[in-house]
Amino acid sequence: MSAEAQASATPRAYRPEMARGWWLRQRHYFLYMVREFTAVPMALWLLWFLVEIQRASNGPKGYYPHSSPGFVVFSVIVLGFALYHSYTFLSLAGVIIHIKGVPSRLIVLSQFALWLVASVVIAAALIGFAR
Amino acid sequence: MNHEAARTQKPAFAHLIWWFLFAQGGVIAAMLIPVHVLVQGILGPLQIVPVVDRHYDTWIQILGNPIVKLYLLVLIALPFYLFAHRLRYFLVDLGVPAARTLPAQVIFYGGAVVVTVVTIWVLLTSAPISFG
Repeated sequence: MSAEAQASATPRAYRPEMARGWWLRQRHYFLYMVREFTAVPMALWLLWFLVEIQRASNGPKGYYPHSSPGFVVFSVIVLGFALYHSYTFLSLAGVIIHIKGVPSRLIVLSQFALWLVASVVIAAALIGFAR
Repeated sequence: MNHEAARTQKPAFAHLIWWFLFAQGGVIAAMLIPVHVLVQGILGPLQIVPVVDRHYDTWIQILGNPIVKLYLLVLIALPFYLFAHRLRYFLVDLGVPAARTLPAQVIFYGGAVVVTVVTIWVLLTSAPISFG
């Protein structure tokens, strides 16, 4: 094998370089990064919820739900990110799901309707089974 | 990595599974998380409405229901497969190329599996299963 052939056989990886802070330059880039970041607050909230479920094993005297003002503030922030995830993810349904003869707007609309129904049912259960 | 995949031409079952979990996690997170955060994180603690997890007796009763246990498993564990994927690429986009590597994949997707196992354990140990 000639030296030239050998050189072309070793793959040269293309490593794109992004300038630091590239995502701050355009609104769309920024919103994309916000969408990706929504995972962090939602994950923290779910783990904290798991802690509350675990506390049920402490018995009637040992159990206490999350009640601090800090938790409420945290939840308000998480709700903002969670709603942004819902909006962006359910909007994508029109791109992902293709049904012949059904306009994509209708598919997106059905996803949002389903979200509304699910939210109402869950809220009713969470409140209805309370004392 | 893509070159190797093209050469071997094997069906990417692993990709299929992770993508399915990612997509389902996305749907579950989108449809279910906001209402839980609103009701249990804001309305309940502020005592605007009574919520099932505010008192031990109502909470333990509903936690014992096997259907509720299954629901909570889906609600808590599935989104972590979305989170793992999103966070890994979030780091890549921020300029952390290490997040592309196999060890990073093991850590992130393995982390989601760990959360799944821990959730199952918590759900099975926090309240005894009851059908009442």
